[in-house]
Parts: sequence; C-alpha cells; structure tokens
Amino acid sequence: MPTEHIKVDALVVGGGIAGMQTALDLGDQGYQVALVERQSSIGGKMIDLSKVFPTLDCCSCITTPKMSATAHHDNINLLTYSEIESINRNGNGFTVQVTKKPRYVREDDCTGCRSCELVCPLEVSEDEHEFGRTSHRIVYVPFSTAVPQKAVVDIDNCIFCGKCIQACPSDAIDFTQQPEPVEIETRSIVLATGFETTPIDAKKEYGAGKLRNVISGMMMERLLAPTGPYGRVLRPSDGKMPASIAYVQCAGSRDQTLGVTYCSRVCCMYAIKQAMLLSGALPLAEITIYYMDIRTFGKGYEQFYQNAKAMGVEFLKGKVARITEDADQNPIVRVELIDEFGKTRVTERQHDLVVLSVGLLPGGNPQAKFGVPVGEDGFIQVPDYNVFPAVTSQPGIFVTGTALGPMDIVDSIMMAGAAASATASYLESSNGSGKEAQSQPERSVEYA
Amino acid sequence: MTTTMEAKKKRTEMLVEMRKEHRDTVQKAQELLKAQQSTRKVLERALTGGPHSVPQLAQAVNMPAHEVLWHVAGMKKYGIVAEAGTDESGDYYLYRLTKEAA
Amino acid sequence: MPEENVNKQAQAGQNPKDEEPRIGVYVCNCGGNIGDVVKCDMVAQTLGKLPNVTVAHSNMFMCSDPGQKMIADDIKEKGINRVVIGACSIFLHEQTFRRTLERAGLNPYLYYHVGLREQVSWVHHGTPKEATEKSIRMMAAGIAKARNMKPLEPVRLPAHRHALVIGGGVAGLRSALDLARRGLQVTLVEKSHYLGGRMAQWERVFPTNEEARPLLKRLIDQVLAEPNITIHTGAQVAGAKGYVGNYTVTIRQQPRGVRGTFPNEQGVMDVCPIKQRCEFNYGLSTRKAIYRPYKECVPEGLVIDWEHCTKCGECVQVAPEGMINLEEEAHEFTVEVGAVVLATGFQPYEPFYGEMGWKEYPEVITLPQLHRLLDDEGPSDGKFYWNGHPVRNVALIHCVGSRQVEGVHRAQMDGEVNNYCSRVCCTASLSMASLIRQKAPDAKIYEIYEDIRAYGRWHEDYYTRASKNNVTFLRYYAEEIPEVRRADEKAENPLLVKVRDHLTWGEEIEIPVDLVVLSVGMMPNPVQDLMEIFKVTPGSDRFLLEVHPKLRPVETAVNGVVLAGTAQGPMNIQESCAAASAAAAKVSALIEQAKVELEPYVAHVDPDQCQGSGECVKVCPQEEAIELKTFSENGRTFQRAVVTPANCNGCGVCVSVCPNRALDVQGWRLDEYEAMVEAIAADIPAWEGAA
Repeated sequence: MPTEHIKVDALVVGGGIAGMQTALDLGDQGYQVALVERQSSIGGKMIDLSKVFPTLDCCSCITTPKMSATAHHDNINLLTYSEIESINRNGNGFTVQVTKKPRYVREDDCTGCRSCELVCPLEVSEDEHEFGRTSHRIVYVPFSTAVPQKAVVDIDNCIFCGKCIQACPSDAIDFTQQPEPVEIETRSIVLATGFETTPIDAKKEYGAGKLRNVISGMMMERLLAPTGPYGRVLRPSDGKMPASIAYVQCAGSRDQTLGVTYCSRVCCMYAIKQAMLLSGALPLAEITIYYMDIRTFGKGYEQFYQNAKAMGVEFLKGKVARITEDADQNPIVRVELIDEFGKTRVTERQHDLVVLSVGLLPGGNPQAKFGVPVGEDGFIQVPDYNVFPAVTSQPGIFVTGTALGPMDIVDSIMMAGAAASATASYLESSNGSGKEAQSQPERSVEYA
Repeated sequence: MTTTMEAKKKRTEMLVEMRKEHRDTVQKAQELLKAQQSTRKVLERALTGGPHSVPQLAQAVNMPAHEVLWHVAGMKKYGIVAEAGTDESGDYYLYRLTKEAA
Repeated sequence: MPEENVNKQAQAGQNPKDEEPRIGVYVCNCGGNIGDVVKCDMVAQTLGKLPNVTVAHSNMFMCSDPGQKMIADDIKEKGINRVVIGACSIFLHEQTFRRTLERAGLNPYLYYHVGLREQVSWVHHGTPKEATEKSIRMMAAGIAKARNMKPLEPVRLPAHRHALVIGGGVAGLRSALDLARRGLQVTLVEKSHYLGGRMAQWERVFPTNEEARPLLKRLIDQVLAEPNITIHTGAQVAGAKGYVGNYTVTIRQQPRGVRGTFPNEQGVMDVCPIKQRCEFNYGLSTRKAIYRPYKECVPEGLVIDWEHCTKCGECVQVAPEGMINLEEEAHEFTVEVGAVVLATGFQPYEPFYGEMGWKEYPEVITLPQLHRLLDDEGPSDGKFYWNGHPVRNVALIHCVGSRQVEGVHRAQMDGEVNNYCSRVCCTASLSMASLIRQKAPDAKIYEIYEDIRAYGRWHEDYYTRASKNNVTFLRYYAEEIPEVRRADEKAENPLLVKVRDHLTWGEEIEIPVDLVVLSVGMMPNPVQDLMEIFKVTPGSDRFLLEVHPKLRPVETAVNGVVLAGTAQGPMNIQESCAAASAAAAKVSALIEQAKVELEPYVAHVDPDQCQGSGECVKVCPQEEAIELKTFSENGRTFQRAVVTPANCNGCGVCVSVCPNRALDVQGWRLDEYEAMVEAIAADIPAWEGAA
C-alpha cells in the first residue's frame, strides 16, 4: 500500500477539546494543521458530558460545533481512528509515522445512515462511549453526533454474516481493509493527549468496582446526558430511579494510598453540577456531597456552589472511609462527619446510588512516545511552567490541555490558545521556515 | 444479471474467507449471538404479556436485574421496546414492545 | 468607504426576481434544554404547513455535524434558499450556522435564528403547552421575515496588522511577546512608570517557588529584544475611535522628568524633601517624590511623582546637568491599531477600617504586604520582624474580601459583596507559611480558612508541607467572621484572634498573636474610563466580561477588543500567561491577514426615495456614518444621503426620522418587521396537543 504523505506546519495529537481548539486557533491563523485522533470520532472526553459548569450549557452545544468546525476547516487535515507509530526529528521538523486503523467501512462512501447498524444481529457492551453499561451493534456509528459520522466495524465480534453489506446503500462496507500508513511531515507538534479517570475499581474501600450501585462521575454524566444509555437516571443494579444519591469527593485524588497526591481540580464542580441537574431530573431525590474542601475557584464557580446549597443539596464535610452494600444492593457509606456544631461522629448512611468523584490521571504515554519528560504526577513537565506553560523541553514540541495536569474545560480552552500562540511564535522564528519575511533578525528559539 | 450473480458469488466467497481468517473470534461471536438471541426472545415473550419493569422482567425470566437492564437499554436504543410510564411505586419505569417489534 | 463599494452593496441587496422563497425550518431540542419543555417535533410539523416552508425538521442537536449536514443537504438537494432555525441563543451559534449555509453555497445572511432556549424553554418550563405555542408563533414570525430576506455581504475592510496592549503586567507582556513573535506590530502602554505590574511585588511565585522578579526580568528582557514592540510607560489611553481592524487610539503620556540613568541617583533621592507612602511596598515604607520603585525595575531610571513634587529644585542641583527636567509636560499621540488587548490587571482587596482589625491595629497586615515583608529587598530586608521585634505567632486569615455573604459582609460602593473566590489566595498563603517556616523555624503559624483550595498542579504539596511544618489549621464558616482585638497590655502578644473552629468541636478559640495577615482577594483595577472608551462591560463580579467562557473565552462583546489576565477574573501567574497567550492567538487570527469583515447590518439609502432632507444626518449618533452629498445628473443638481457602512452601527435612528421612508437597516428592514409582527399576531395553524 502506498504511503499517504501529508505536509503541515503543526501536528496536533489528540482530538479532545484542547486539541480541537489548538487546531482551530492555529488554522484560523493560517497555519496548515494535521490533527490525529485515536478514537473513531473527535470530541474527546468532553463529548461524553451532559451539561457543563458553570453556565449549564448543554455540552453537545459547545462541543459539536467545534467538532464540526475542526472537520470542515480549510487548514485542518483530520485523521481519526489513527495511531502515531513513531516520531523522528528531521532537520527543524519531524517526520511522523501514523497508522490509520481499518474501519472496515470506506470513509469516502459511508453516509452515516446507520442502515448497516439496524440490520446487524449482535450487540456487545464494549461501547466506550457508554462506559460498558449499554450496547452497540458490531457495525455502528459511534454516537449520534460523531465526527466523522461514519460507521466502524468491531471486527473482533463480527460473524461476517454479510447483512450490513446487503443493507448498505452506498456499498461502503469493506472487510478486506488493511491498516493504512500515513507519513506526516510537520514543523511542530502539539501534545493534547488528555487524561483518563481513576478506574472505578481503584479503591478497595469503595468496593473495588464490585458494587453495582457505586458508579463514577463519568458514568453519571452519561446517565444525565440526553443521549445516555437509558435516557434517564436509573441505577445500574435494577433500573430503579434513585431517591437518595451520594457523592464521594476526592475518590482518587488527594489520596496518598493511591499515589495520587494532587487535587484533580474539576471534581468539586462536576459533582455540584450533577447534583443540580439531578435535582431537576429527579425532583424528589435527596442529594448529599461528602467532601474534604469544596474547591469552587473559577469564574462564577463559588456562586454556583452557593446556588446548589440554596437548592437544598446537602454538603457534609467528612472523608468517606468505606462503602459496602446491603442485601438489596443499596450502597452504605461509612463516614466520619463533622457536623455544623463541629462534632465528629462516625456514621453509616444508606443511599440508592453512590457516585465516586473520580480524579484525573495522565492519558497516553507522552514520555515514551514523544520524549517529553513528565513530573512525579505523570503529567508532562515543562521547564518554565509559569510563563511558558505550553513550551516543553523538546524544541518544536508543545503541550496543551490536561496533558499538562488536571484542568477544567475553560482552562483547557485557554491553554489551547496559549499552545497555539507558542507554536505560532516557534513557527515564525525557526530557521528560514517562517511563512513570510520577518522584520526581526533571525533568532534561535530561546525557550527555557 | 450475470454481474449481480457474480458479485454475489464474490461476496459470499469473501465472507467465507473472512470467517476462516477470523476463525477464533467468529466462533466466540457466534456463541454470543446465540445466547443473546435466545435471551432477547425470552424477554420479548415476557413483554407480549404487557409492560414490565426491570425487576418484574428479571423475576419473569429468572435473570439478574442488572443483566435485564442491559438488554432493555439495548432494545430501547434499537427501537424494540419503549417506555410505558412507571409502576405503582413510581420507582421503576415500565417497558413495552414497540409496534414494529410486536 | 469608497462609494462604488456602497453601490455594490445596494446591488447585493437585490433579490433575484424569479427566486421563490423555499424555506427550510429546523427546530433544535438542544439535547433536552429546549426539548424537555417544547414539543419540538410538533413545532416542526405545524410550521411545515405554512406557505413557502419546503421542509421542517426537528433534531436533537442542530449544531452538531449531522444536524448541520441536514441543512446543507436540504439546500443542495431540495433547493432550500432560506433557513430558519429555532435553537439556543444567537450569541452561541449564529456563526456556526452561517458557516453551514456558506459551505452549502447559500448566502449566509439568508438565515434567521429564533431563540427558543432563553426566550422559551428556560423561562416557561412549567407550562409546556404554552411554551410550544409560543415557539410556533416566534418561529412563524421568523418564517415571515425569511420570506422577505435578501442576500447580504459583510463589509470588508483593510486592517492594521498592529495591536495595542493596555497594561504592562505579566499578562500584557506575555501577550505583546506572542503578538510580536507572530509578526505583528505591538504598542504596549503601561500606566505606571515601570513594567511588571503586581508580579514585581511578589516575593516568589508558586508552584515553582521561583523568585518573582528574576522570572519577570527574563520575560521583560525577551519583550525588550523584540523590535516589533514599542513600549510606552507612564501612558494611558485617553480616547479611541474606529472599529475592529481600524482603531485610532489617543495615548496620553506623563513625563518621567528624568532622562536616563546616572551614577548619583541615591544622592538625588536623598536631597528630596518630600516623603510619600511607597506603593511598591504597599505602604510598609516611604519613598521620595523622585524615586525608583525597586532596584531592578524596567525602565531603570528614576521618576518624578508629579502629584507630590513641589518643584523645589533640590534634585536638579545634585543631578548631572540636563538629566532632570521639572518642566516637562505630558503629551498626547495617536496609534493606528487593528485590535486591542485589555490587560489591565487587578488590585488587592482593601479591607474596611476595622475589618478584622485592619488599620485599627498596626499589627494587622495583608498578604501582599507580607510578601514585601519577607522579601530580601523589602522594608525589613526579608527578616520576619514586625515593629522591630521578631514575629513568633502569626495568624493568616483566608477569604478576606472573597466568598463574601450578603448580609454578613459589608458591601462595596456598588452595593454588592464580593461573592466570588479569588482563586490564588489559598495557595499563596500556604506558600508564605512555608517561607515563614524557613525564616522563623519556631514561629507558631495559624491558617484560619473556610476551604483550602489548593487546586492547581503542585498546589496540594504546599498544603501537605504546611501540615508537616506544624502549621495549625482552623476552619471557620463565612457567617462567623473571625474577630481580631487588642490583648491586655500585660499580655505577651499584642493581638487576640477569636475564631469558632469547626475542625475541633466548633469550639470558640482565642489565639494570641504578634501579627495578623489578611489573605485578601482580588478586585479588578478600576478601568471605568477604558470601559467607556472601548464599550466593554463588566460582569456582576466587576471583572471584565468575556462573550462565553468556552466558546469565546477571551473576546469581549466588542469585536477586536480582547481580554488578557486578571482583568477578566482572578488568576495566578501561570493562568494569566496562558490567558494572555490565548488572547494573542485570537488577535493574530483576527488581523493577521490585514483585513476584517464587519456585519452588514447598517443603514442603506434608497436613492430613488431620498429627497435629501438631511433629517438622518441630524439625528445620527455616530461620527461620519451618514452625510449629504451633492450629485448632478442631466444638468440637475441635488443632494442625497450617503452611508459610510464602516462607521454605521445599525441603530436605526435615521430610519425612524426619514420623511420619505428612504432608509432601512439592511437585514432588519421595516417590511421585514411588519411581516414578523403580523405573523406573531396571526392565527397559527392548528396543532396536535393544542387543545
């Protein structure tokens, strides 16, 4: 198979919100950009969310237009379902080998009509988008707002019955597809490799993932989203509408036993936001948030917290020591509480559903692949964190979003602008490769 | 006409070839499909008797409620069942077969 | 604006004669934001029956790629030539849908957006039936407008590849540097006589523990090395006119009174008889009326405090000849820029007299003052001394001027309390506790807090370290403000802090201390003048307001005016730098191509109707937006009104006074309004569920 060649000014690695925004901010400035995303759609973690704090905008309404703008931008070359294989420095730039994984569906022919999906006979539950709680068929369009809106075949679960081939009106199914190599020649790289969340089974005190009605904050996002698995908030053990929901804060952050000493920065706000959304979805439900410190530090966040308190969300200061369940799979939370009079007491409280406010862990392995050093926390470490936060110690390689540490969407978008600016500065300065004649003398880049 | 026949033949050959190439996974998937289809059939049969909640279905088909919920979610996603209000307690939604499925 | 361009616009406004309106109607559920209240499919169904409506759909997310594709396909395949979308607010997605139309080959202005979220579902969530009916009426009005819509072209103008950055603090410097490196010209104005802003006053910065001024100096050196950047200190914006791409900004610069540097600067300062509060040390020391704010300041020379200088001339006597000029006058000049970056920064919250002992007791200081106190170049050479004695007990009280509660805390002049979190003070306090521990290993340190918000990368380490360093934490609730009072004269420590501690039984505790540090929050620098000049607005927290925190986080409602750093809200150094760089990216995208596009919603004169009455010229509130020009045709000379689109803001005042109905605002013509009003009042088609 002949290798496809792409030549760009900047390669953005990761199509989450930070990567998309960086690509847009560079593309809008006239630079040629390639964006490589591992998943079959761009949108990253953000597209999984329900609504976003503190504006309570529907998350899709913020993400999907950016996904669309990225896909249609004249200066952005989008490669989804693609893995970066290797990176080689090549003069002032880089040669990057990418593999486009086979979708077993010809992208150019697929219209995203889902005819194939509707006739496919088997459903499996490994749908990453729904976090394993609901199913997708073996050939499927990842989700209703996916970009590109193209089907993909889960080849390892396919029985090759051929029904999809018959159903496809544009003859797009192709089981013989092979991985396609792509070579990207780029002058710079922006790492937007993002984050993962604390695995639900990380903490044995919290049931080690075995308690059905103990779910993660991300799962609750899916339950609250209009495109979620049930279209409503139902608890996983039996589909009951929960009447009492508890949040356990810092479940995976600020926790020496897990080796995660840092604060994940977003959990307080997402728990409060979910509590507010739950009060709307389940008006009779009682919602409790067990916390150590409420960290609502951003613009409009403290006011958001105060509103939640006024709406009747219960905030209890205390570290949850253990979660167990009763015979009906109702989770029981054991917590040392400090009450309003400052009295400490250990108590057990039963809830219908418990949400672990899981933390943010570094995504991918940027150190191994890109040679950028990481800190003790596993996130990318940069030489001048305060003044040049987007500039890594590797010339020509930049970092944005949660690859640099936990941050919320607002801060990720700011960081994306910062990474785009840093990359632009570099592109304009590197030897002889500036887009237009510069009035300033030739300089070497002075980072760190 | 011949071309259609030829294309059909070619497609069948390709599918056979593919099944051979992916022998292990195909076998596993086929087992999964068999089990799934029988479960779905049992659930659909239970639902022909009228709307059920997840725990009611679980009891009717003798299967853990969380597994029933998984199937119901999938069946709802692909238009086989639809919600039909809540049960008496108001704690659970009821599900019925859609017209198309019935 | 050349006239031929105006004529071209008039031509663009012509409706192709044989083009029958074929309207596509789209109703967005907004993922439940609208759909949970309004029956969107019903709205679409009902509107589908109206004349000229060719297709009517509802969709979960119209703004998503599949939603946009639906519109594009209808345009291409069904010949849709007008689009009406009922969705969120126009501010969110007007641009999104315009681009959709453009991609599909339709003029982007042949689209009308109905706000079904803010104007219907969010305000009528209790009454779904009425909300659905209101949606139908509002969209019917949109359809009525759509029937009359004409294609429009944006006003395209050349732009200056030159940006003005207002504020020489870390955010302004960082923006300027990025813009210059991007190849744009930059003018940076700083109100004070030196660069660096508040950052220069910090002893060190978290989370890297670097000393603040050397870090700042590195940035300033890079800025100074950029030939594209012109810096004016002691300079303020006095006025501006124009619009994105083409601002003319007047800058007023105060003289330094001192030319360059010279060896005997200390001697010159010594002879000055005037003593003033030193702002740099937040009043912990004094300075003269001729002074240097701090040792390594840039520009490095002395400067005269004109407000307090009596022009006695003592300094002139001592200084080398010609170096000091007490008669130097302020001067004004203008710059032509394409965009403006507001990096006007913050000021520390100033407590009221008596607020936790502030100004009442000299042993009560603020966190910024503590930074100066612990600075080796500060008033006590970095020793942790107060009033000549080593400090042995110190209490840092958090959230002073932040997270305030109405009815508990005293409001500011505008009647509002500071109900926001200032974001930086927790970690700043903890990092200072760490520094105190180094300087005074035996001191008792108390952190009196509400929540410890050590949210950022490495911030938590300061919290952990403080606990290991035997810092005592006490937690109070906003409703029970800690009290600071004077101890008995015989007492060892001059102050007592009374606090109800919710970490230990809610007990009321009195702590004897030598020094109280108020961890004061951030308030925006007062920039009322700039807000008026550039027509930007603050949010309810008084910080400058962005259009949308996620969609357009650094832009203001005024195209071409962007925000950088703490002018927008509390941020630490890293966040300020990131925000400043993001602002630079936005400005680059805006003017890098040396051209801008303005909205076509401007007044338009129908030359056949205009009689040259000049009424419009009299009432127009804008400068040079409409004027009478003399024309001659077939030997006849007459006057007609002519619009300069770039200067017109489309307010429509001229339309209301024209005696001949010769004026209209493009895109919002009177006949469009009339059709809309009629449609709102008309009977709507019957719809299922209406009964």
